Amino acid sequence: MDILSKLQILSGAARYDASCASSGSKREGPACVTGNTSSSGICHSWADDGRCISLLKILLSNDCQYDCAYCVNRSSNFVERASFTAREVVDLTLDFYRRNYIEGLFLSSAVMGSPDKTMERMVRVAETLRTEEQFGGYIHLKIIPGSSSELVRKAGLYADRISVNIELPSQASLQRLAPQKHKEAILAPMALIGREIASSLVERKTSRHAPRFAPAGQSTQMIIGASPENDFQILRLSQGLYKKMQLKRVYYSAYMPVSDDNRLPVLAAPPLLREHRLYQADWLLRFYGFSAEEILSDDAPNLDESFDPKSAWALRHPEFFPVEINRADYGTLLRVPGIGVTSAKRIITARRFSAITPEGMKKIGVVMKRAKYFITCSGRSFEKTDRPAALLRQQLLLGESPVPARSTQLVIPGIFS
Amino acid sequence: MNRYLYDGTADGLLSAIAWILEEEPDPEQVALAERQDTLFEDGFFLATDAIQAEDLFFRLRQHAPDAAHTLYSFMLAEKDGMESSLLHYIALAFIHGDKVNGYLTHPAVRDIVGIAKKAGRELHRLKGLLRFEKLRDGAYLAKMEPDHNIIHPLAYHFSRRLRAQHWFLYDVRRRTAARWNQGTLQFGTIEQFTAPALSDDEKKVQALWQIFFKTIAIPDRKNPRLQKSNMPMKYWKYLTEKQGE
Repeated sequence: MDILSKLQILSGAARYDASCASSGSKREGPACVTGNTSSSGICHSWADDGRCISLLKILLSNDCQYDCAYCVNRSSNFVERASFTAREVVDLTLDFYRRNYIEGLFLSSAVMGSPDKTMERMVRVAETLRTEEQFGGYIHLKIIPGSSSELVRKAGLYADRISVNIELPSQASLQRLAPQKHKEAILAPMALIGREIASSLVERKTSRHAPRFAPAGQSTQMIIGASPENDFQILRLSQGLYKKMQLKRVYYSAYMPVSDDNRLPVLAAPPLLREHRLYQADWLLRFYGFSAEEILSDDAPNLDESFDPKSAWALRHPEFFPVEINRADYGTLLRVPGIGVTSAKRIITARRFSAITPEGMKKIGVVMKRAKYFITCSGRSFEKTDRPAALLRQQLLLGESPVPARSTQLVIPGIFS
Repeated sequence: MNRYLYDGTADGLLSAIAWILEEEPDPEQVALAERQDTLFEDGFFLATDAIQAEDLFFRLRQHAPDAAHTLYSFMLAEKDGMESSLLHYIALAFIHGDKVNGYLTHPAVRDIVGIAKKAGRELHRLKGLLRFEKLRDGAYLAKMEPDHNIIHPLAYHFSRRLRAQHWFLYDVRRRTAARWNQGTLQFGTIEQFTAPALSDDEKKVQALWQIFFKTIAIPDRKNPRLQKSNMPMKYWKYLTEKQGE
């Protein structure tokens, strides 16, 4: 099989992995002949689905021993199989990198033979890139659950980021849909990686030459909508992963119907809006000081589809508002719908110069369309802030005028069709 | 209100600002513009002094490094008609230090910071969207048509990234070029550009990239609007993956 067909098969098989980050690592200096990494990350292109491409995202092989119901590469699926050699991946990466197509390599794989055998082949690719080719670009390696801790350690030394996919949000779903995968085999390497990252950071404080272990941290991914868990369960799991395992990112991937297995739900369309709302809630966990229990509860365990989670929280907590822009602290500002991390910081610095006026709010970049119902500016409010919750909901949803403006355009049906 | 003129060069602009900051008690009340040489032009012409210009930049960098960075990015934008705003911005930067960039309710600060941000954004974008082609002699060439004059910082970025390669950047609209070879970076202009021959395997690698670009998208999630908002069509002309669209 020629390299073009292999690339087509193995990139097509890798596209369901959401992670594409290339940030968080600073690799530079004379040891890197080709490439460096930029701590802010760089996107190199955007695919037809609008997602960014920063890494050459491929599988080493799609020839899988496992039979996970939700996966295109499951052994019972009739798809064409292919495998790269280590050399082929190395050459592809370098050819693409030298032309500035990519920021580095994202390498995952189906399980060939055993987890250890697969992981060993993946680590060899990273090793060749780093030691033989002195490649300084970004490398993201997937850890195959069940591979030995020795290989996990080696992977962390060559890669910038390593990740173990949690796949499904609960042990029960895992058992039902991916019978060969076990929760312990996923969580054990995660914990190991967390410990190694922490100890490498401690060592590097005392010696600049201590080896770095996965400097861009670890991430994970779970599939949304293939199993019955509610959003509250999912968010609490993510919260645990961020707090206890110090993960950098949890990715959510809306389930794409790739199988008609009767263990899977039949969906009219992939749950893209749900995925979007989960990401918004995830941001609230990481950057806005919210906890999962504030966003959702056992009584309302799913995210509202019509409101973003912060507006939904604000509607449930009228006692918190209005917030006075010229006095509130950073944490309080962050809880106002329409004010994000950037504008909250800008408000704090701008009001050192002078009190912020209503016009100033727009200049700062606050989304007044949402914020105006929740704030006062030096005591002046923009809208009546004590309106009933139902009316507020309606106005947030529809904007200023609940009745759409009548069109003055003469419309003759069918004239332009 | 006092009105001053300068010759339209970057050095002229900075040295004029340095002079005004020195001599005028309240720079906020001063206007600065490029000399147009019309008959009834009103204003006092300030001669260019390259040493004073450089001195102003170094003093600003010492006093407010973020503001100096903003000034640098602003100059990449090659914007006309904003000299007074820049003067007021720099005057404020010497008063408030780096905190000046947070004074977004001041119109001059907002204008200058906004334009500097835009230039910085395009620079960051092109770090990703620039595409090199391998030439027959083994060197690599990348062509671009950016809105801002970013060839200097862009070449610096690639001088650290693709150190082992011999490469050229070419700004097609401004006819400026950068060259990196064996550890030295040079800049120049190209009057007559002739497209050099590509290396034999170049088309093969480009085909690989095009196939990858196509298959990495999930068909069920097609979203051309999002793609265009992240990657505006003005950049497609030189994108390997967007050829023939």
